Amino acid sequence: MLDAVEKLKRVIDDDNRYEIPQSDVAELQIQAANELFQDRVRKIKFLRHRAEEVGVTEVRERADLVGLLFAHTTYKSYPESWLTDEKWPLLSKWVDTMSTHRVEGIDFDGIENIDGWIDRMAAGGHYLSCSSGTTGKSAVLNASAADMERAKKNMLVAICWGAGVEPRQEYLQFSAAAVAQTPRNMITGRVMQDAFIRTDVKPFKSPIPPITLGGITGMVALRKRVADGVATPQEIAEYEKTSAERAAAIEGSTEVIARAMIEARKEKIFVSGMWGRLYEVAEAVRNMGYSGKDFNPDNFFFSAGGLKGAKVPPNYREYVFETFNIRPERVAQNYSMQEIATAMPRCSHNRYHLPPWLMCLVLDENGEALVPHKGGGEIEGRAGFFDLSIDGRWNGVISGDKIGLTYDRCDCGNPSPSIRDDITRYADMAGGDKITCAGTVDAYVRGIS
Amino acid sequence: MNVLSPEAAKAVTPADNPDGSIPVAHFIRGRTVWGNDVRHTSRDLGADFVTPAISLDDLALPRAHKPPLQDVKLSEIIDFFEELGKRLRLDDNVYLQEALERVVVTNPLPRRIVENMFSGAGAFLKPEFLMAQVESNFANPAVLDGWVERTDINGNRGAIRACAPRLVHMLAGNSPTGCVSSIAQGALVKAINLFKMPSSDPFSCVAVLRTMADIDPNHPVVQSMTAVYWRGGDEAIERTIYRPQYFDRIVAWGGGDAINNVIRYLGPGIQLVSFDPKSSISMIGPEGFASQEVIDDIAEKAAADITIYNQEACLASRFIFAEGPREGIEKFCAKLQERLGVDRDYASAIAPPLPSDIRDEIEMMQVMGGDFKVFGKADGRGMVILTDEPVGFHPTGKTSNVVHVESLRDAIRYVNVATQTIGIYPNERKMEMRDDLATAGAQRVVRLGGARKHVLGGPHDAMYPLQRFVHWMSDEDA
Repeated sequence: MLDAVEKLKRVIDDDNRYEIPQSDVAELQIQAANELFQDRVRKIKFLRHRAEEVGVTEVRERADLVGLLFAHTTYKSYPESWLTDEKWPLLSKWVDTMSTHRVEGIDFDGIENIDGWIDRMAAGGHYLSCSSGTTGKSAVLNASAADMERAKKNMLVAICWGAGVEPRQEYLQFSAAAVAQTPRNMITGRVMQDAFIRTDVKPFKSPIPPITLGGITGMVALRKRVADGVATPQEIAEYEKTSAERAAAIEGSTEVIARAMIEARKEKIFVSGMWGRLYEVAEAVRNMGYSGKDFNPDNFFFSAGGLKGAKVPPNYREYVFETFNIRPERVAQNYSMQEIATAMPRCSHNRYHLPPWLMCLVLDENGEALVPHKGGGEIEGRAGFFDLSIDGRWNGVISGDKIGLTYDRCDCGNPSPSIRDDITRYADMAGGDKITCAGTVDAYVRGIS
Repeated sequence: MNVLSPEAAKAVTPADNPDGSIPVAHFIRGRTVWGNDVRHTSRDLGADFVTPAISLDDLALPRAHKPPLQDVKLSEIIDFFEELGKRLRLDDNVYLQEALERVVVTNPLPRRIVENMFSGAGAFLKPEFLMAQVESNFANPAVLDGWVERTDINGNRGAIRACAPRLVHMLAGNSPTGCVSSIAQGALVKAINLFKMPSSDPFSCVAVLRTMADIDPNHPVVQSMTAVYWRGGDEAIERTIYRPQYFDRIVAWGGGDAINNVIRYLGPGIQLVSFDPKSSISMIGPEGFASQEVIDDIAEKAAADITIYNQEACLASRFIFAEGPREGIEKFCAKLQERLGVDRDYASAIAPPLPSDIRDEIEMMQVMGGDFKVFGKADGRGMVILTDEPVGFHPTGKTSNVVHVESLRDAIRYVNVATQTIGIYPNERKMEMRDDLATAGAQRVVRLGGARKHVLGGPHDAMYPLQRFVHWMSDEDA
């Protein structure tokens, strides 16, 4: 029985969910982590293998979890050729080794592409979220129906806490985003819509064609064909034509969205999306002669994404906020990642607060040991998380993020553990300068990304 | 910025700064320059180091400045390097000793391998080694020393000379002594040379140049050499100096960002000579599995090719395509795994741990089961993975993927433009397949076990680089 787990998960219904000091729940968390470990080690084959490798049979303290955390690469550990060659049964079997609930009885007949496979898996109760990695491999993570329900609630409570808003369907929305349609993206998109968007106004329809994972994997497959030297010039030309059309559609949509927002400027607007796109729309709005003074002061803003490589000036946030008249207290900013199910909302003092069902393990740079921590103060290192609320896959992940965490009371008055708002990625800190004579054919593939 | 005379510089060996950062010297045509002006972080190991500020006018000489080596005879240059070769001995060269202590802080290569590299560096400078390069690059090496007359089929007379170019060398970070070859090549073509040092080793090149300055700081060879560090991609520097008015060629190792940064500045008059990022493979025919004795022998040879610089080098083998009986191949894999764990001059018994993506993929294969076998563990002693198709990842850290193929000819489709060296056993198969391997994109076939050995004066990356460095000038009397 997962008694301790259930006890901690239930806190999501309490108003003080982000305001509980670590000392109140530390013991219960370890108990819950062990409950999950004992249950999952029997069910998740990859975890069993890992536990045997590191020799862990019981979780008695936080340090026991370190060797059991999965890296994001674990969720990319299938051979890429399975995806490009559309080996759905093998990929499903791979998902099974990472899952709590067995992947069985999936109908593979007539699956046309990865989107079709994802649909069939969902029909079998496995909701896959795939990162839309274009140059690298997609990470594929399984979630159960219970996880999907939890994700909806989780997102909503974090946003309401962070931006001080209520889910009263008061806003208009103008999506500028071009996000991939994965089950999790669709479900969280819908929950936001249900909570905040007015039902009396016909929703704005984005002129951007949605990105499908099929489109992305098609590109990955083409990349591989180019690398193998078997792609024909005609094939490459067709790809370039399609991507040019898409780029043109996105560019053309900027003005359409900007106009729609200007028209609705007296109404309350829910501004969300990727920073790069938001910046472009804001720029278009300013070029048409409108700015903060023209927009409703009750607009609210939510973004969970980083820049994702978009090239914008350093003051891009202020620029977007000023353009749409968004006051600081109406900004919801969460810290989360695809591998965990929980969002950490940012407080008025710019720190991300942890609910008690999420454990943060601050590790050394190599991710091999907990950073020693005595007394109070900030602990810095690589972020590992153990999300006690995840049902469909293993709960522990190690990230590429460098964070500062404290268990001390935040200046906002909140006693829960919190993470500083200057998260960087270990990979980004190096990067760009490496030069060696050894390399792969990837360096010989130009322009397909 | 402090400028020290060569003599004073020799006496002064700045200790690490109080904040733990390592001082890096620049070398400007005979002068060693120190200064705690710009702080950097090394890419691989995140060590902090500080360099003097760069004066752009030091990096690029105007065309009016005659290359110091233009009228120096090749024989004199080779004599200079013979002397340098004698002085590049780790035992008594204080510059190399200092560089060693610092390279091990910024570079992932184990100390002993760096020591062995430094100890072997002088060998690249033997006169016969240098002359072999010159003779294979130039039909008549006299073009380097002066005008060589020629007459065409119509009786028109003229003369040609391989004139001194202006070169930027972007040094590779994975071989601290690669700079020795680059310095020699730059001098053989009498170039004005600027060396851009890598963040994983901003020390070795200057150590070699300081040794040269000790021979004679005013020697035209020394007066032709500048070595500095700036962060690769730094536009303030690269956009300013990468112009045909200052340089004829950018000689670069590697690919990815480092090359993409440079490509932007290429144009008429400034060309890229690129030593591309490469990977290497091996091929073994059924003869290799004939008896345990042969298996032992080829396992050692294959291990020698795989482990070069702990598999960080372009010529280190990563995939072995094997044709023959399964049983023999499995015996070979087991033996190979054993030989990967042996301490060697250029490899450690225990290599740094595998990157997590590779470890995860291998673990996943083990969890999934199927038609493959894993020999060894992810403990740095080396792993061998026997499969029927190449694995999806790029094997590193002393990992070899042995791919069982019906026929070695089936393996040719896995050879591509990034394939550099192919070690083949038995030798007859090499001759049988070399034309087809060239068609697929490969550049070098060797006997299995011979990846690190070279026939002097061979081409590199499918070209003769010195020919491409020089400025070919023609005098015509038609």
